[in-house]
Amino acid sequence: MTKVITGDKANDERIGEKVTHERLADGTPDFQKIENSEGFRELMRKKKSFLIPTTILFLGLYLLFNIVISYTDWLNASFIGDITWVWVFAFSLFAMTWILVTVYMKRAEKFDEMAKDTLKEFDYDEEENR
Amino acid sequence: MNATVIAIFVFIVGITLVITYFAAKRTNSASDFYTAGGGLTGWQNGLAIAGDYLSAASFLGIAGAIALFGFDGFLFSIGYLVAYLVVLFIVAEPLRNLGKYTLADMINARFNAKKVRGAAALSSITIVIFYMIAQLVGAGALIQLLFGIDYIWAVLLVGIMMTVYVLFGGMTATSWVQIIKAVLLMVGTVILSFLVLKNFNFNILEMFTQMKTATPHGEAFLSPGVRYTIPLDTISLMLALVLGTAGLPHILMRFFTVKDAKTARSSVMWATWIVGIFYVMTIFLGFGAAAFVGSDLITSTNPAGNMAAPLLAQALGGDVLMSFISAVAFATILAVVAGLVLTGASAFAHDIYGQIIKKGEASERQQMLAARYASLGVSAFSILLAIFAQSLNVAFLVSLAFCIAASANLPVIVYTIFWKRFNTTGAVSAIMTGLISALVLVSLSPSVMSPEAGAAIFVGDPLFPLTNPALLSVPLGFIGGWVGTMLSKEQDLKKYSEVNVRANTGGFRQL
Repeated sequence: MTKVITGDKANDERIGEKVTHERLADGTPDFQKIENSEGFRELMRKKKSFLIPTTILFLGLYLLFNIVISYTDWLNASFIGDITWVWVFAFSLFAMTWILVTVYMKRAEKFDEMAKDTLKEFDYDEEENR
Repeated sequence: MNATVIAIFVFIVGITLVITYFAAKRTNSASDFYTAGGGLTGWQNGLAIAGDYLSAASFLGIAGAIALFGFDGFLFSIGYLVAYLVVLFIVAEPLRNLGKYTLADMINARFNAKKVRGAAALSSITIVIFYMIAQLVGAGALIQLLFGIDYIWAVLLVGIMMTVYVLFGGMTATSWVQIIKAVLLMVGTVILSFLVLKNFNFNILEMFTQMKTATPHGEAFLSPGVRYTIPLDTISLMLALVLGTAGLPHILMRFFTVKDAKTARSSVMWATWIVGIFYVMTIFLGFGAAAFVGSDLITSTNPAGNMAAPLLAQALGGDVLMSFISAVAFATILAVVAGLVLTGASAFAHDIYGQIIKKGEASERQQMLAARYASLGVSAFSILLAIFAQSLNVAFLVSLAFCIAASANLPVIVYTIFWKRFNTTGAVSAIMTGLISALVLVSLSPSVMSPEAGAAIFVGDPLFPLTNPALLSVPLGFIGGWVGTMLSKEQDLKKYSEVNVRANTGGFRQL
């Protein structure tokens, strides 16, 4: 069994021999090994394939809105009665924010699971080390 | 000032002092002081974020701006809200996973270099000071109007209250003042919105139709272009708002008050709903004020339109509602400035004293003392500045704070989390390039130099055309970080692996 070194004396004594981590010779966890593990790489793939397109989408729509209202009067046409498209677009950006937050909350639960599994694989117990 | 105002006012101040008393008993360590022990739940922190974020500038400023400029007054709100996606997607979780008390902690989880910490503390302090002066100047002007006392006394009143909260109750008191303020603000805004909608027969279409003829702007009131007429200027300003929130140190600090990334995430969700619904309601407040108070009365009471919401309350709900809304505005100011004091103090006491001077070896007692002295210092300094800065434009100071946050803090955060090759030199140059370019460009801009005497601080032709330089200074911050990194051979891939794993899994927090 490897002695756990967390940099926090009281904590070290508390967890003592209960948890074993894969450690390098100097006592630190082998982060490069974790980073290159299948589990972690899959987590990063999943995360990136959600975050990159959505970030481009929301920043893009936001900038588009500002460019369109600054340079054109396209959105001044009527949507219903005296409500023009500019209000519809503005409110869509609000709705977009709420929707993306909600979707991300769901996705992130899956990311949490994956992260937990990866850490477990490397013998790291989240609760013990809090 | 009548008896109702005084009663409601005393009641709110009383509640916050009781909170501070109980918070003080629970504030025994540096961790309690800076992060309320890290034990806030998602909804609590979400409300506190909203309470920290929705300043008097949002409540009174945006309602007034919509009343006076229609759609253009509402424009800022879109940026303020969409910004939370940047916070949620890029910043919140890694920050919680890597940091302890401050933004500098998070960046130093990767570099552990004094100069990086110093630069991060410097940019945090700069942002806090600009934001704080804006809030205090606005508060002074507002309380002067609401209660009829002199500007100096108004600033001192707010200043002393914020100092008391932070000094004795630390983050626990500050958080609960922010939570209560957020609830009060939502209640006040819902009541006002309801009354406005009732007067429009709960018919949104009819409201829009009436607004076409209710103001001197006519139909233009409902379209962009009444206030912001220079396209690049508008785009630059809107860029500062959407990117700046994720770099505002007092907002970032709130993520250290929760136990893990999951809670940090859910607090952003709560904040997004509260802030978003609030901004939607400011449309009703603004339209209502324009229709039922009228722009003449609004501008004659305060040229910037800051009194639109209280005047609307007076018109629709009489003295009692007006008193309530004024008290809410006061609570709003207190909650925001208390958060700012705490953030400024953390940069001085934790980053500069605790980590740079004491090299992280200060005792618990020394840390607490330093935190309290720093809170006193930050409070006193900003009260003094605010007293002399009475004539500065509040909206300009706030947008400048957002611009510095976007230019100096966001690039270094993004690089720290995502860029393998990034190094110490890059971190320092990202922060300093963003900070200096934002400050220099603003001082050459039309906000500071105007050919018209009295329109800005100096008379002369502006050397830089944009009032808010984010469009140039944010890319400069990113370029600065890249060039700095490339100029130095240093790189530590092992350390990046650690940061990458910790930021994305939330594990190994004790390291």
